[in-house]
Amino acid sequence: MNETKQQIRDFVLNLAEQKGITTVADGDNLTQNGVVDSLAIFRVIMFLEDTFGIRVPDEEILTENFESVEGIERFVDAKLAAKASRR
Amino acid sequence: MAYLLNQLLTHSAERYPDNLAIWAVGKSLTYSDLDRKSNQLAHLLRSRGVKKGDRIGLYSPKSVDVVAGMFGILKAGGVYVPMDVQQPAQRAAYLIDNCEMKAVLGSGAAIQGLQSFPLRSLEFGLVLDDVAVTGGSLELQPWSAIANFPGEAVPYFQQTTTDLAYILYTSGSTGRPKGVMISHQNALTFVNWCAGTFHVQPEDRLSNHAPLHFDLSVFDVYNAIEAGASVHMVPPQAAPFPASLANFIDSQAITIWYSVPSALILLILHASTQLQALKRLRTVLFAGEIFPMKYLRRLAELLPNVEMYNLYGPTETNVCTYYRVRRELLESQERLPIGKACENTEAFAVTDSDEIAGIGGQGELYVRGPGVTCGYWGDPEKTQKTVVPNRFEPNFREYVYRTGDLVTLMDEEGNYDFLGRRDSMIKSRGYRIELGEIEAAMLSHPGVQEAIALPLPDEEVGARIKAIISPHSKDSVTTAALLQHCSMRIPKYMLPELIEFRESLPKTSTGKIDRVRLASESVAAMGNRPKDFQNGGPGEARLTELKN
Repeated sequence: MNETKQQIRDFVLNLAEQKGITTVADGDNLTQNGVVDSLAIFRVIMFLEDTFGIRVPDEEILTENFESVEGIERFVDAKLAAKASRR
Repeated sequence: MAYLLNQLLTHSAERYPDNLAIWAVGKSLTYSDLDRKSNQLAHLLRSRGVKKGDRIGLYSPKSVDVVAGMFGILKAGGVYVPMDVQQPAQRAAYLIDNCEMKAVLGSGAAIQGLQSFPLRSLEFGLVLDDVAVTGGSLELQPWSAIANFPGEAVPYFQQTTTDLAYILYTSGSTGRPKGVMISHQNALTFVNWCAGTFHVQPEDRLSNHAPLHFDLSVFDVYNAIEAGASVHMVPPQAAPFPASLANFIDSQAITIWYSVPSALILLILHASTQLQALKRLRTVLFAGEIFPMKYLRRLAELLPNVEMYNLYGPTETNVCTYYRVRRELLESQERLPIGKACENTEAFAVTDSDEIAGIGGQGELYVRGPGVTCGYWGDPEKTQKTVVPNRFEPNFREYVYRTGDLVTLMDEEGNYDFLGRRDSMIKSRGYRIELGEIEAAMLSHPGVQEAIALPLPDEEVGARIKAIISPHSKDSVTTAALLQHCSMRIPKYMLPELIEFRESLPKTSTGKIDRVRLASESVAAMGNRPKDFQNGGPGEARLTELKN
């Protein structure tokens, strides 16, 4: 598994643990299982910004970018690729 | 004139059969669809022996079929009980036992979660989606079974406006949720007042942001149906994401929005450009918690042509007072009043010396009128404490509801200012939370000796919850284990965001845990935020950064 996914997964699992949830699969919908709510989403965003050096503008705080561990990974990969191509 | 909630649908389906009644992602129903489906369900329920007053659970994520379920249950004479699908199955099982539900309509996954509980009162279930349910002895039918029943109304049977329509469970101080019984008359009193006050028209498009077990949804569903308008369900997956939420309001051309303030604050902070661009929105209603003035002022700037109302009322009264936001006063107001009593409702403050407060006087808010609940399901003791004989009415017998909220009467118009609670109930993101329910959940862990839950004031969500516990021994419980234990017993929104461990908790002279001291210590320690908070930390920092 790549490192990006592992870091995202660890962070999400830690969030889940604080809500008493012990298992989260990569494809699980994070709003349906209650891991991500309107407070937790900003923790996720701060984590992504700090860890991967990306900026998540308000208009990208969308369901499709944060719906699962896989979804977040896709979003981060795309942001990193865009950043790399600008260099 | 409708005297039963389900007649609102029957009447509108006659007048506007082809109008859109309800929209959700992937599925919508016209008035004739909704009327027919709910009639079919009513026939099915009657054929299964459902009689007037039988309780039927709704245990599913929001969908158009759940709303058809609400109306079908009412048309069969039943009482629906909406249950949070995010709550632990054990808590849902308690609700089913508590009001002895005869049947449950639910998603496959939700019903699956109930299979390990005995649930003696349940006779059958209807599965609303395609998810297979395995094991267990509950007899299940697919939702499609309604197609075998006629689409016409069930034959008339005797019913009155004082029969129960639904039961909404709220947090209970002794650790058990309590079921607020709402009659057709209670709900219609509110719906009729809203119809007259907000002038909902057939062309209006109402949002439904609140979950169906939350009383804010009563306006969304029944006032849309009353008017022949449409109700548009916010996809639960979109709710935490401001840009998605704003896209929903725009793409569904919502004209009337109703939610807790924290949902609006999310939009103000992170989707202001999209908010400003909304052309169709005409009315914004909010309730459930205090709207901080700085955000309300910002909302007023972003939506210059939108009427805004603060609605106030515990589940026991639906809404009992309201305040229309006056833009010219926003700058000078320190906080928003809860306003004056709705029509067909009376609200008065009773002082400590047991008199009705005059202008400037403070007291506990009492509410009387046909909107007030008759009490809590199966709990006459709790009912007697809050639904009390009106001692200020000497000529006839009636009951009033004691809200437990402290207020000041502000002016001759009858506007009230909210001061706080008399007890340990708090509000977080609009949810009513009894700290006792959290404490009971923590204390049921074998490793916990003492536990206390404390609210820490928070502008964005109302309050955040901190817990302080003393374990039996050094290693008898960990934070993760305690949270997991609690998550099996109480909903996620009640879980403490921060748990502090101490060897023992300080006591008062009477030997009780010194709640006042711990609360003031905790509030004083808030200077250390955000790092103090496991949940809020970085998000808070981001919000602060964006606000400045």
